[in-house]
Amino acid sequence: MKSAPTLSAAFLHPAGQSLPEPLLALRKQRGTALVDMPLPTRKTENWKYSSKYLKLTDEIAISLPADRKSGSSLAVPGYKVVFLNGVMMPEASEYPDLSGITIERFSDLDDDTATTLAERMDSTLDNNAVQMARLNSARFEDGLLIRLAADAVLEQPLFIVHEVTADASGSAYPRIFVEAGRNSQITLVEEYISSGSESVMVNTVTELALADGANVTSIRLNTEGENVQHIGATGVRQQRSSRFESHCVGFGGPLRRHDLQVRLEGEGAECKLNGVVVTQGKQHYDNHTTIEHVAAHCNSEETYRNIAADQSHAVFNGRIHIHQDAQKSNADMNNKNLLLSNGAEIDTKPELEIYADDVKCAHGATIGQLDEVSLFYLVSRGIGRREANVLLTMAFINELVEQIPVAQVRETAQARLNQFFDQTFEGA
Amino acid sequence: MLSIKNLHASVEGKEILKGINLEIKAGEVHAIMGPNGSGKSTLSQVLAGNEAFEVTEGEVTLNGENLLELETEERAREGIFLAFQYPVEIPGVSNLQFLRTAVNAMRQHKGEGEMNAAEFMKLAKDVSKQVDLDPAFLKRGVNEGFSGGEKKRNEVMQALLLQPKLAILDETDSGLDIDALQVVSNGVNALRAEDRAILMVTHYQRLLNHIVPDYVHVLAGGRIVKSGGRELALELEERGYGWLGIKDEEAANSAN
Repeated sequence: MKSAPTLSAAFLHPAGQSLPEPLLALRKQRGTALVDMPLPTRKTENWKYSSKYLKLTDEIAISLPADRKSGSSLAVPGYKVVFLNGVMMPEASEYPDLSGITIERFSDLDDDTATTLAERMDSTLDNNAVQMARLNSARFEDGLLIRLAADAVLEQPLFIVHEVTADASGSAYPRIFVEAGRNSQITLVEEYISSGSESVMVNTVTELALADGANVTSIRLNTEGENVQHIGATGVRQQRSSRFESHCVGFGGPLRRHDLQVRLEGEGAECKLNGVVVTQGKQHYDNHTTIEHVAAHCNSEETYRNIAADQSHAVFNGRIHIHQDAQKSNADMNNKNLLLSNGAEIDTKPELEIYADDVKCAHGATIGQLDEVSLFYLVSRGIGRREANVLLTMAFINELVEQIPVAQVRETAQARLNQFFDQTFEGA
Repeated sequence: MLSIKNLHASVEGKEILKGINLEIKAGEVHAIMGPNGSGKSTLSQVLAGNEAFEVTEGEVTLNGENLLELETEERAREGIFLAFQYPVEIPGVSNLQFLRTAVNAMRQHKGEGEMNAAEFMKLAKDVSKQVDLDPAFLKRGVNEGFSGGEKKRNEVMQALLLQPKLAILDETDSGLDIDALQVVSNGVNALRAEDRAILMVTHYQRLLNHIVPDYVHVLAGGRIVKSGGRELALELEERGYGWLGIKDEEAANSAN
């Protein structure tokens, strides 16, 4: 019998030695744990539909250089932190001194802070479920720690621009930890972009710890190129009466994987997770979400929409786990899928595990095509085929796009959607 | 304006229209009546260009142009309008967006500039009053959550906005209470014009009390079996279809 493939040792050589000692030690320890780690195969349940897209060559194992000084030219309305090839670039970042808010790169942390951070890193994620994202903990370089003191409010969105320059093969490992203090409030926008055309991987982890009453909105936009494999994980822990809102908009690629894990640990915490995925050509996108209802009286609301054209492949796996003590939980998960061609594939799987007896838990999943009768109705009014297709496709996701609370993200998403429509409905 | 010659059409291999002949001139209002299953709705759908129906024989011209060669949207731009028997609900597309896109597609076809959002809003509000629809409906999804009567009024509103050459009304009276019927009829009567023709498809005579036709045709078994003036509709009301040697297929089916 052929033995299962394991992670190449080439992936266990992190770059960037300028980190504080506790973080270097953590990274080393996480690396040791990954020696001979089996890679996911189609028999690995949570990578069943995606393992065949994973291409981990030794060329990709090399850390992409982060020596460019300029950073991203992306203009944003708000504060900006730039990661270039996984490394935070202070020169390219723009944010003022803000009262109650510290934005620091890992290499600038004092020993105490670094020790605390090292203890808390990985604590928001179920490491068994995010096996590929664990690589980030063995490889992260100069990341970002954001701390909001109690009652601190960031008035403008903080954009975190993750740029990879794929002029050579390699990989990047951006790492972010956000500590939102009591009743603090922040809107984060993580935008993933790329330049260059060599085969690269972005392996990114963002962790957010929300104290009592904290209110965090996280927006994530993936528009990287066709040469970029993206493996991302976001872990969230919520204390009493905190609120987390997530808006993910993703365009497909050779491999796109995002694990979003939310733990509702304090009573009255609530989360709202929205997601839109659009794939075309031979692209792929896989969203795995987990909501852990640990405490009682928590609400979760999840709405994901996938649109797959051509021969592309989208996956949604939504898990809700209601623990025994999580009475009066209210969980609502909804996933709708639109196939725009006969060759496209969408796999959707709701997973509900409920151990409390007094809960409300609803879920629904549908897969369909554009409705011929609606299409006829529109064109019978003189509306062109392309326009009619666009109206009906947008109708499928409009509600979610409109809910994104930052106008620039809505506009960027809409511009990308328009490109998608041009390519998908050309000649229609 | 519209000339139909020996039109045959099938759906899923079953022939529904078996040789329709009909001439409609500008300014005229024609009513097509007939029992269920006679092919009334099929004729409407075929004229509008629904691809679910296959035309197997015959020709249809609009002002001399071969209609059957045109795509649905091209027919609409040439002036064909079909008020649907069952208007479609499209959540996620607002009425305003839908109507403005349609009006601008027409304007573009005529070489006119597009209307901006503010101009269109004003026009849409005016026209919605004509059919007694609360302008708040413009913000809702297309026909989403509309009552049957609201849907029919929305159809007539679209006709008023798009100003077609030939308006085909497919059972626009069905499901309307008397007040709504009055509103819809007023809207249709406002459409009557010397350069426009109206083709009403209806099962019942009562609509014809409000919108008085110039000609009435009886469709049965996929053919027009009798034509006459408006007095034919009254006769049908009184005597049913039996005296024409037609059996109502629905009645026949339910008897089986």
